[in-house]
Amino acid sequence: MSRTTAGEEWFASRGWKPFSFQREVWNAYLKGESGLIHAATGTGKTFAAWWAPLLEYLAETSNDSEPRLAGKVVSARAQRKASVPLRVLWITPLRALAGDTAGALLQPVTELDLPWSIETRTGDTSATDRSRQSRKLPSALITTPESLSLFLSRSDASSQFTDLRLVVVDEWHELMGTKRGVQTQLALARLRAICPNLRTWGLSATIGNLEEARKSLLGRTQSKGKSRIVRGVEPKNIIVDSLIPPKIERFPWAGHLGTQMVPQVVEAIEEGETSIVFTNTRSQTEIWYQAILEHRPDWAGTIALHHGSLDRKTREWVEEGLRSAQLRCVVATSSLDLGVDFSPVDRVLQIGSPKGIARLTQRAGRSGHRPGVASRVTCVPTHTLELIEVAAARDGLNARSIESRYPVSRPLDVLAQHIVTIAVGEGFVPSELLREVRDTDAYADLPDDEWEWVLGFVSNGGHALKAYPEYSKVVAGESGRWKVEDKAIAYRHRMSIGTIVSDAHIAVQYQRGARIGSVEESFIARLTQGDRFVFGGVPLEFIRVRDMVAWVRRAPNVNGAIPRWMGSRLPLSGELAAALRERLGEAGRGVYHDPEMKAIQPILEVQKKWSHIPGPEDFLIEKVKSREGHHLFFFPFEGRLVHEGLAALFAYRISRIHPITFSMSSNDYGFELLSPDEALLGEAIERGLLDPSGLIDDIPASLNATEMARRQFREIARVAGLVFPGFPRAGKTARQLQASSGLFFDVFQRYDAGNMLLGQAHREVLERQLERTRLGLTLQRIAKAKVVITTPKRTPPLAFPLLVDRTRERVSSENLTDRIRRMQQTLERAAGS
Amino acid sequence: MREGDLPVKIAGEEMVLLPERAMYWSSEKALLIADPHWGKDATFRASGIPVPSGTADEAIARVDCLVRRTGAREVIFLGDLLHAREGRSPVVFASLTQWRSSNMDIRLLLIRGNHDRRAGDPPSDLGVNCEDAPYRRGPFILDHHPRASAEGYVLAGHVHPGVRIYGRGRQSERLPCFFIGENVGILPAFGDFTGLADISSSDNDEIYAIADATVIRIASATRI
Repeated sequence: MSRTTAGEEWFASRGWKPFSFQREVWNAYLKGESGLIHAATGTGKTFAAWWAPLLEYLAETSNDSEPRLAGKVVSARAQRKASVPLRVLWITPLRALAGDTAGALLQPVTELDLPWSIETRTGDTSATDRSRQSRKLPSALITTPESLSLFLSRSDASSQFTDLRLVVVDEWHELMGTKRGVQTQLALARLRAICPNLRTWGLSATIGNLEEARKSLLGRTQSKGKSRIVRGVEPKNIIVDSLIPPKIERFPWAGHLGTQMVPQVVEAIEEGETSIVFTNTRSQTEIWYQAILEHRPDWAGTIALHHGSLDRKTREWVEEGLRSAQLRCVVATSSLDLGVDFSPVDRVLQIGSPKGIARLTQRAGRSGHRPGVASRVTCVPTHTLELIEVAAARDGLNARSIESRYPVSRPLDVLAQHIVTIAVGEGFVPSELLREVRDTDAYADLPDDEWEWVLGFVSNGGHALKAYPEYSKVVAGESGRWKVEDKAIAYRHRMSIGTIVSDAHIAVQYQRGARIGSVEESFIARLTQGDRFVFGGVPLEFIRVRDMVAWVRRAPNVNGAIPRWMGSRLPLSGELAAALRERLGEAGRGVYHDPEMKAIQPILEVQKKWSHIPGPEDFLIEKVKSREGHHLFFFPFEGRLVHEGLAALFAYRISRIHPITFSMSSNDYGFELLSPDEALLGEAIERGLLDPSGLIDDIPASLNATEMARRQFREIARVAGLVFPGFPRAGKTARQLQASSGLFFDVFQRYDAGNMLLGQAHREVLERQLERTRLGLTLQRIAKAKVVITTPKRTPPLAFPLLVDRTRERVSSENLTDRIRRMQQTLERAAGS
Repeated sequence: MREGDLPVKIAGEEMVLLPERAMYWSSEKALLIADPHWGKDATFRASGIPVPSGTADEAIARVDCLVRRTGAREVIFLGDLLHAREGRSPVVFASLTQWRSSNMDIRLLLIRGNHDRRAGDPPSDLGVNCEDAPYRRGPFILDHHPRASAEGYVLAGHVHPGVRIYGRGRQSERLPCFFIGENVGILPAFGDFTGLADISSSDNDEIYAIADATVIRIASATRI
């Protein structure tokens, strides 16, 4: 009898048949292998991983004379007590997914009457459940990377995991490119050290670099051993179309459509049974929810909104409404990108650019779960130029050019946090911990000096010769184990485990009633009593802040501000950018064949008349003079991050020729350098403005002139435990320990310039903020391109969004005093005239 | 006086705004300093947060340099001399004591601030005369909190004032500053490890920003 028979039978009993990729996983697991499974959402990845340990258990117990608990009526408590000790850890990136996953895992266990208990452990877990779990862990535990690290900070961590067989990391593609991914890698390395036979299986969407995904998940030893990549079911056909604005006006240039498209969106929702309307930000979710409701007040109660800042109960209610088809429409952010299926959904709309091909695929995959139905996503432009991105995304999708996710390489802040986590728990012997850390992909090349420095940083403040007075966090004990002895330090560390950085959040709650969710403190700080704002789709009136809660009551109407949450704005992916340049090239040749391109034709023709439409072989620079000063617009079409880097680089290179101060703005298409006096562009180009060589020296030099590294330090300071998120019971002592990350940055720079976290800030700006590799490739492309310089009288359409962007960086070669004087003089002159 | 200093008249007195983040009162030969927060770095270190030492020594060196170049006979601290009880580190006091031993003739006066109340007075061998706020001296009411007084013009600290300056080409810059209002003047925080808080001002208030080694009057148009 095959070892997978039990699984086959269970599938058969439900009229299903296991996919061959599921069988492949089961057999590989039973042979002791680890691996990565990639497939589209909703194609059976969960059961591919979950049945593996179940089959292993069934095989182990099939010869037992001991009958299982089948058929006996036992109390839940007794059942729990008798349940199999912890065998499976299931790591999920979103705690909102934990509940659904538990439900899915429970299904075969209940039906086969296995003595397995399945529980979740996340930031949402109640105190009762926590204390129960601290006595005995369930057979399978679903948890987040942060909660897993918290387990490792327990003094009995090893004994909890002795019978662990399998770790499943769900949605690994979401984690692998982030510091949370590195945190997960470190935790996995710890688990593998505790249980050497542990197998690791990752579940991932299809991405461009699966081999790298496997290596980063499994670590050095395991990825060199027996492991494999298992390909699941291919995604269905995907249809991408768009709602074309009825009238594309050439003016106003900004091209902002705002919520003008609401009537058509409503029409599209009416066509379907159940729709998800995806937006790119939480604020957009609130805005579109309101707009749809204003258009169709009769839909009240059948439409809802969903985003990460809403209270968990609200989110769960919305998810249930989607599953049971009770809701007609949900307006959501990426909070609904992941996780279990919402089968009734037959229509997906995407507000604004999807920014990447993988993301559009993922969102499209939310629809069309009925047999024979294709997945379809309808894009709704918020800006007329986005129509080109839709056409380009369709090209990318057809060519199957899916983006890669690049793992973070040896971030010292995450390592510092991990070392303290282990020191708070069981403690460590440095040489053993180093071996473990180097087994991860992220730290495989960790140099000795960096390890020594981080070890010093968490113990005496630095290298042996330059210890900080009065400071000791991790202490080497007599047994040779390094531990955190101070209870207050341990407590603060546990409260701040994690790598997700956000502004301090404050709960929003009805004066006498339910919690609605949380918003950033900076938003609440601007409100005074009686101010109105909209949150969770509900008009609210602000009463006051007390005990870290913003107390509100319902307001009669919806006039009011909408909170903005800081979030990372995704840049256009390289794959989508390349497709976009091709599309513009076509337009430059007068070819407009898709509905989107036809619609945008009038605007692009103005661009052509006033300036030029840049094709893939061109590099367009526009010079425009306005009341604000002299503008230079550059159009590489490489995504916002690369443009930020190029803007700083070009500004630096020009400012080396003559003293000048620029303010810069960037978007996905290009960037702007604005200066009070005219920049010597021609001379700068002659002297190597666009030269790809010298990048290694010029970029850091131009960075010194900007605040980027200082800003990047915000995340590093938080992860490395320098600044703390607000947490309950903080009290007065904590307030004396408040300092901004910028202040830390300045003080380190001045008094401990060798601090490696500073180096990390600069490196992160280069690698992650500015995508150095992509930036270098862009410069090489530009160097080969034909430079087209135009001098339009007015700002042409492509440049206009840059002109009105208010978020700016600065580069200057003037000294501060001179600059302030000049800023003053010009304004005084203006005021006088 | 030297280049970068800026003389102003406050309540009829000749005062000099110094780019080292202090104020000099000419007729009294007194140096006014707000919010040094000595021992803040040590407080952090004692709580397991690694902050390099050096900020305290730098601040003491700056006081020393200011006393020499102005010829001050007295240093008046407008509160928050020490950051916290946990930061009463022997290292900090050792540097202060050393400076004091070669400057025994300088009078030291502390107007207690909110931090001083929790952190306690400096050790008595430093010879700092400690007084509760508000404290009258000549035409001034010396205070830590910038609250107006019917008794006279108030000089205070506490808020660590900073100003954001805007210029053409959408430039902006954030700098520490002196705030000289109609009834209250606020000094910038002296300590390096203290941070800035943006201060709001009206057209009747004068703002003097510190740009590197220069004190510059900021026109209200540039502040917006």
